[in-house]
Amino acid sequence: MQARPLRRVVITGMGAISPLGVGAAALWQGLREGRSAIGPLRHPDAERLRVKVAAQVPASFDPAANLDERILPTLDRTSEFALHAAREAVAQSGLEFANRGLGLRTAVVVGTGVGGETTQDEQSRRLYGENAQRAHPLTIVRLMTNASASQISIAYGLRGPTFAVASACASANHAIIQAAQMIRCGMADAAVTGGTEACLTYGALRAWEAMRVLADDTCRPFSANRRGLVLGEGAAIFVLESLEHARSRGATILAELAGSGMTADASDIVMPSAEGAAAAMRQALDDAGLAPQDVDYINAHGTGTQANDVTETKAIRLAFGEHANRLAVSSTKSMHGHALGASGALELVAAIGALREGVVPPTANLDRVDPACDLDYVPNVAREMPVRAVLSNSFAFGGLNAVLALRRAP
Amino acid sequence: MNATTQQQVFEIIAKQAKTDVASVKPDSTLKDLGIASLEAIELIFDIEEHFNINFPDQQGANFDRDTAQSLVDAVDKALADKAAGGEGAA
Repeated sequence: MQARPLRRVVITGMGAISPLGVGAAALWQGLREGRSAIGPLRHPDAERLRVKVAAQVPASFDPAANLDERILPTLDRTSEFALHAAREAVAQSGLEFANRGLGLRTAVVVGTGVGGETTQDEQSRRLYGENAQRAHPLTIVRLMTNASASQISIAYGLRGPTFAVASACASANHAIIQAAQMIRCGMADAAVTGGTEACLTYGALRAWEAMRVLADDTCRPFSANRRGLVLGEGAAIFVLESLEHARSRGATILAELAGSGMTADASDIVMPSAEGAAAAMRQALDDAGLAPQDVDYINAHGTGTQANDVTETKAIRLAFGEHANRLAVSSTKSMHGHALGASGALELVAAIGALREGVVPPTANLDRVDPACDLDYVPNVAREMPVRAVLSNSFAFGGLNAVLALRRAP
Repeated sequence: MNATTQQQVFEIIAKQAKTDVASVKPDSTLKDLGIASLEAIELIFDIEEHFNINFPDQQGANFDRDTAQSLVDAVDKALADKAAGGEGAA
């Protein structure tokens, strides 16, 4: 069998449901303005919980809006987010999947850290807390990790390779890379991909509390007074297609997904390694054909924990050498929180915004310099500057690293 | 007869460090005892469960620098707070 030549991959649609609101535009606008969506935790058990703050999708989000009411009972919150984000992305792309067999040539890959946690938690509460004798009959279809990918596939008649990817906080980036690779090597012409997460349940919040990595005030990445991460939720979904496919139909290209890097630290289950992260960044540069000095902005993983921010700073220095001093690096988790398996997808909206508008979103709440974090983190106010290429970092518990490399639309 | 807080805490530390309780000294740091970050979080959990207390929120890594005695002191403080019906109450 003759190898097919590799194809270039571009992004032609994006959609998001995030703590900054409904729509990718609401997310990008909030980030540009340096507006943090972190606030007091809204939860029926908030009084009992020690975690006090979170970045939550606004209460005004209506999952039923524009969705077929017959499918609503089959959806966990993760799938609600994913379907709404997918609709926005597909509409923007203008793709008609029913035309010329495109549905069969379209992949769906959605990242999620834990899948249907809300469903799991509700049903566990019924069974163990209330001694109910039976679980809801739609429990399985709501909670299965692939539910979001399958719901998107069904909604748009997408019959190509469809599955979920789970790698904790790197899930979205790993998913997007899978989708891009399938287009690149000719297994698909288009893909709907991204990440979704909705796991702010009593059980999950208690589990995060016990790990002692949550901030009690706000998320302050790279700041000396940082106190940990702030949990978030949401989804962002993208339409990818081959460059020739997008050009042949005259589509508006948002950005080129030029390359990617994936590595594992193979060291500690939670403590990150600078070498593993640096190797993923180097791979992404090589894969995209970028030299370090071609990159102007890195959307950092930037969780705001003691361990991540120092290690990521070291990793960027390892991968970029001297050029690290000229990079703009920011963590938008300071505003949209850490949406775990969706975070890389929310951050891709930021990366695309930076490329398209020449504006780097800031790191909010960075008010005290940490000598161990010595890069230019674009503190608190967005910066207008030419942005030719961007890296977007995601590093997960388990020591898993996934980095996207993006260029302006060709 | 009640073991002192120190005896109980040292026993929990020794178990986590898989070492003899005699090798836990008041000024041993968890790092000295070979207790890494995730194990330190587990240790805190074991101590909280044993005494039915809550330590104030603090990132796990900070316990790397803490000594065995500082954990004993933290337990005594949490027990006192709990008796007073304050923060440390579970």
